[in-house]
Amino acid sequence: MRRVPLVLSAGACLLFAGVLASQTVPAANVQEVLVGELLPLTGNFASLGQQYLWAGQTVEDIVNNDYPDLTVPLGPGKGFPGLGGATLKLVVRDDQSRGDLARTLAEQLITVNKIHWLNGEGTSGNTSIIQPVVESFGIPMSCHPCASPTLTEKGLQWFWRTGPNDKTMVASVFTFLREWREQGGPTDLKTIALFTCDNLFCQDNRKIAAELAPKAGFQVVLDLTTKTGATTLASEVQRLQAANPDVLFLVQYPPETSIFQGDAKRAGWMPKIIATSNGAYSDQTWLEAQKKTNGGAGWLGRDPTAIDLVQDRPSWKKVNEIYKKYSRGQNMGELAMREITGMLWMADTINRAKSVEPAALAKAASETNMGPEQLIIDYKGVRFDKTHQNELAAGVVTQVGWDGEKHTIWPWDLAKRANFKVLYPSPGWQERDTKPKPAN
Amino acid sequence: MTLLLQAVVNGLEMGFLYALVAVGLTIIWGLMEMINFAHGEFLMLGMFGAWWLSVTFGLDPLVAIVPVGLAMYALGVLIYRQLMRRVQQGDPFTQIFATIGLLFLLQNSAVAVFTSDYRYLSNTVLTRLSGANLHVLGVSVGVPILIGALLALVLFLALYLLIDRTEFGLALQATAEDREAAMLVGIRPQKMFAVAWGLGAALVAVAGAILANFFAVFPQVGFPFTVLAYAIVALGGFGSILGTLLAALLVGVVQSVTSVYLEPAFKDAFVFASYILIGLCRPQGLFGRF
Repeated sequence: MRRVPLVLSAGACLLFAGVLASQTVPAANVQEVLVGELLPLTGNFASLGQQYLWAGQTVEDIVNNDYPDLTVPLGPGKGFPGLGGATLKLVVRDDQSRGDLARTLAEQLITVNKIHWLNGEGTSGNTSIIQPVVESFGIPMSCHPCASPTLTEKGLQWFWRTGPNDKTMVASVFTFLREWREQGGPTDLKTIALFTCDNLFCQDNRKIAAELAPKAGFQVVLDLTTKTGATTLASEVQRLQAANPDVLFLVQYPPETSIFQGDAKRAGWMPKIIATSNGAYSDQTWLEAQKKTNGGAGWLGRDPTAIDLVQDRPSWKKVNEIYKKYSRGQNMGELAMREITGMLWMADTINRAKSVEPAALAKAASETNMGPEQLIIDYKGVRFDKTHQNELAAGVVTQVGWDGEKHTIWPWDLAKRANFKVLYPSPGWQERDTKPKPAN
Repeated sequence: MTLLLQAVVNGLEMGFLYALVAVGLTIIWGLMEMINFAHGEFLMLGMFGAWWLSVTFGLDPLVAIVPVGLAMYALGVLIYRQLMRRVQQGDPFTQIFATIGLLFLLQNSAVAVFTSDYRYLSNTVLTRLSGANLHVLGVSVGVPILIGALLALVLFLALYLLIDRTEFGLALQATAEDREAAMLVGIRPQKMFAVAWGLGAALVAVAGAILANFFAVFPQVGFPFTVLAYAIVALGGFGSILGTLLAALLVGVVQSVTSVYLEPAFKDAFVFASYILIGLCRPQGLFGRF
């Protein structure tokens, strides 16, 4: 009987030692830094997931290969110098756009694959589902294109986001609309309708817009939530037409946006302004398709960067060439740019930590102070507030011109550089049909 | 009043498109009583086929329905012979899981080949007509969808004549009703089932080729249509072609009218609520027989 406490104590010591051994990984032993890439590669959000995967592969390429002229973190040299040249390895998992599967896969990545960092899931809704899992295991996690403000407002210890949240970006749109009046824009824009889908991302945008619209001098005349995956929006367009708002604030995914365009064209309805926030407006394939129909001309929306000006940056061009190796020749869209920026920050953090121990990574992450010259995007830098939100992430407002490209129209200093005359009012359907199409 | 009338017309137009999607399922599920959860993926393949023929050879989707329909007929027969014939001998649950597996196989194959990008058709006959309307009593009727609706009507009429007025159709019905009895009068059930799968796949692919004019084409596009198609076939009554058409129109109108007066996010909930209500009174569907 006297042996029992002895055996228990020895067992406890062994267990404690085991836990310590599993958590502390000396830098010298690290050959590969394992980053879990949990993405929606199939299912409803697959088009987003594939852009994030290409972005991840681009960062893996940049870190593991030598790009001497590339002025982004870990561009020159191979691997992580802070970890003796260890390489970056992505462990990619597809959650089929399902939150329940994402949760299971997050657990597997942490307990079976022993990842050092989890990046994902790419959509705010599913990210919010896996956050508690990652938090309970205590390893760093990031989702850079996720824009829901709630993700960083929960007081989580292990979650970071370099990209701007919806509050920042939707505020950009309403600040533009408010200040535009003082800058020679129209003074007769009084009413607004909100037209959003029903998931977390869209509803966050809707709530923020509903709060900001009256402050910007708009009366909300209609607030419509539609079903994600709708097959028709004809009745919704009827209601919008009846309400006849000056401004339509639309947050919809590409399939629903194209259905809206078809139904609005059929009804012959076009508001004076269509303002958007992410969704189709961030989707490169939707933007490219508009060049064949002039469908996007005059649409304005928030972006995390002045995409027409950023292309002048040499580092942007080089990173884009690497990205195109994986994307079957597609240029980086703004979602890919957000993801690459965030993952390069992650690589820099791992390198500065000189360890893959979670506490060291967290410390390095919190100490981040990255200047704009290291970024491919128009943030003022990367520095985190106490919620782990990048407080230097900024938003801009762009508008699609007759050339089918986005042009910066706010903030005013960048707009001046972009030298683009705002299209107002939004062109009618007949004008879109008769004008030459950029892609034809 | 005009608002309501316009909503009804919009609903009828969409109803015809839904009917187009449901018609293939009427044969496989409604008539032959085989479950096919990959129905939406056949639709997706039809859409991709039309898109690919349009961007590669400049073929208009209205012309592409011929090669797409033929190719999908062959695929439907192949799927029956290689997969469903064996699965058919087992438990009905085996059919469910086999076709769910087929769903993922086809969807993920499309992701691998085409990526998950959204594709759009432009410069086709129907997209060039977008925005063209007929005006009747203050209500506008979209010309492109009207053409789609007419095509749906033609397909339904052809299918009705084939199933109800030909020896082949009667053989198909006999096989569905009693396989052994059909064999006694010289009908080969395996052949009938294979043809039914071929026809079902071809019809929904033709629907896909037409729908590609109105909707974005991407690997997951089939799901919302499949859910509605199942409700439509059950609502119309299993095996009833006329019932399927009327149920599709009803679903379109319910969606459209409720979205005008109530929260549009719940439009499908109203459709399924209608299905439950009708199911309580007529469990066999509107035109079905026990």
